[in-house]
Amino acid sequence: MPVVTPILVLIILAAGTLAGVLGSTLGIGGGIFLVPFLTLVMGMPIGVAAAISLTTVIGTSSTVSAGRTGSHLINYRLGMVLEVATAAGSLLGGITAQHMNQHTLERIFAVVTVAVGISTVTRLNKRNIVKGDDIDCGRLGSRYVEEESGGVVSYRVKRVPLALFASFVAGNVSSLLGIGGGVIKVPVLNAWCGVPLRAAAATSAFMIGVTAAAGAIIYYGSGQLVPSLAAAAILGVHAGSTAGMRIGSRASARSLKVLLAVVLFAVAGLMLFRSLQ
Amino acid sequence: MSVETDLEQRIGRVLIIGVRTSAVFLAVGLVLSFSAVAGPIADWMMTIGLLMLMATPVARVVTSMVEYLRYRDWTFSILTAIVLLELCGGVVAALVFHRRL
Repeated sequence: MPVVTPILVLIILAAGTLAGVLGSTLGIGGGIFLVPFLTLVMGMPIGVAAAISLTTVIGTSSTVSAGRTGSHLINYRLGMVLEVATAAGSLLGGITAQHMNQHTLERIFAVVTVAVGISTVTRLNKRNIVKGDDIDCGRLGSRYVEEESGGVVSYRVKRVPLALFASFVAGNVSSLLGIGGGVIKVPVLNAWCGVPLRAAAATSAFMIGVTAAAGAIIYYGSGQLVPSLAAAAILGVHAGSTAGMRIGSRASARSLKVLLAVVLFAVAGLMLFRSLQ
Repeated sequence: MSVETDLEQRIGRVLIIGVRTSAVFLAVGLVLSFSAVAGPIADWMMTIGLLMLMATPVARVVTSMVEYLRYRDWTFSILTAIVLLELCGGVVAALVFHRRL
């Protein structure tokens, strides 16, 4: 357990703020930055870092989802269906994490970070959009008004079993590593299940609160959640992501994405190195 | 009003209330922990803040379930009930790990 000092709290407050800004401008959540910072730089065990990160994920998910009220971007029905799988995954992940070897977790983190890096550079926004509001969206599909064009976007959800599987894996990884899991759900929903990128991201962000809560509760029970450090991280991420949303403009510049990928690959390398020591 | 619009508004309200109240407890607790009155009150406030934050998604699932029941949408009532049970499973697991400490 790390010794809590005012300086450590301030460092974590600052790190949380930065992770919040990066997470909200890049749209991938702050956990992927916060966990490596806490483990690699501050030398915390991955369980302690994951516990802190999960609590920040709950905060971000709730704030972002509440802010989207009225936009119809969140597909509640799809979210509720997939939550059954994602909560099961995170419950299982939370329990296995308590028995898992530190180095194994670090290796899994490295692999996931590389995958996120690759998907960031190559992320394709597959157009799953059917224009017009007269088509049948099916039981799980939905429609929303696109901001730029003002047109109605309708979509049907395909391959629900695949979406359920991806949500289960995302829940599992989320609890094991303390990240949101949107990095797994969003590409799958977008590329294979017919959900437009915006709706996929909003629905995933909505579900992540439940995913992270299931995991965070288990870490809390196992005594790995340090209240004052979690408080600092939550408040930091909250401030950072609010600022990030104000800055707005989801960074689409190619160079920024490449830079992000480089950072993620470096993180993966360092995690791997640490796990081999 | 349709179940979706109703649900959206209620869920939004639950989430924002949960996050804001927990943030107040966490901030006050954190500040107190470095002041002269550090000690049980500060720890107590931060713990309440964390528990409230973790309870927010649970409250959101309960709200959805109540809403689906009200609109007699049985499929989604059952689905949300399963999610709620899974979250309860998390609490049980937490208690088991806690006893082993």
